[in-house]
Amino acid sequence: MLNDQDLVRTLRSALPPVAMPEPPSRDLWPHVVERARQRPSWSAADWSAAAAVVIALLMFPKWFWFLAYHL
Amino acid sequence: MPGEPAAETLRRFVLGDETAFEQLFRQFERDVYGWILRIVRDPAAADDVLVDAFWRAYRGRAQFDPDRSFGAWVRRIATNAALDHLRTASRRREAPPADDTVPAPAGSNRDTQDAIAGAFRRLPADLQFVAALALVEEQPYADIADALGIPVGTVKSRVFRATRMLREELARLGVRPC
Repeated sequence: MLNDQDLVRTLRSALPPVAMPEPPSRDLWPHVVERARQRPSWSAADWSAAAAVVIALLMFPKWFWFLAYHL
Repeated sequence: MPGEPAAETLRRFVLGDETAFEQLFRQFERDVYGWILRIVRDPAAADDVLVDAFWRAYRGRAQFDPDRSFGAWVRRIATNAALDHLRTASRRREAPPADDTVPAPAGSNRDTQDAIAGAFRRLPADLQFVAALALVEEQPYADIADALGIPVGTVKSRVFRATRMLREELARLGVRPC
């Protein structure tokens, strides 16, 4: 079994430390801006909740005021 | 880490000023990119994580306290983004790949290197994270703890667990000391 020093040396031989960090190879600012300007899309959970509300209202129309109060 | 930006820049950033955001991005991108690259060890993935981290920072700008360090705040966000990347990568990865793109030293045995890299990649994401920073990059435990928002003692215990798992896995694979 490797001791701690052997383990670190072995690990570093396969996964050498990253040299002094260099900046990214391309300008990533436009990608950040593009991402920041994207409108948030609905997740699967959002769609599920919306579908559940619609189905509940179709099945139990009297729940409208109850849901309107809570949502 | 770069010096702290002007208070006015931080205030404008919190209010959503894109020019202030770009100033902060330009000032901190190199430092944050280097931090991410040390964790994900793949320049292409580091690009994506950097974009994700700054996008998260912009989205969460209202939570930033301009009296606190912007560098530490954005590094913590980058840490979470990098951890999410590691978790996603480990879920996608069924077989052990060798997708480490930092070149190994010349003359090393490729199969052994791949076996070691594979064992490393099979660590749970939180252990792989501390192993990369503490064992490979030799970053101070205090910096790792600060980036994760956890006590130094927790970092030490994770390093201990990562070391034990790696040692057992490498013994199982029959890897001998280099």
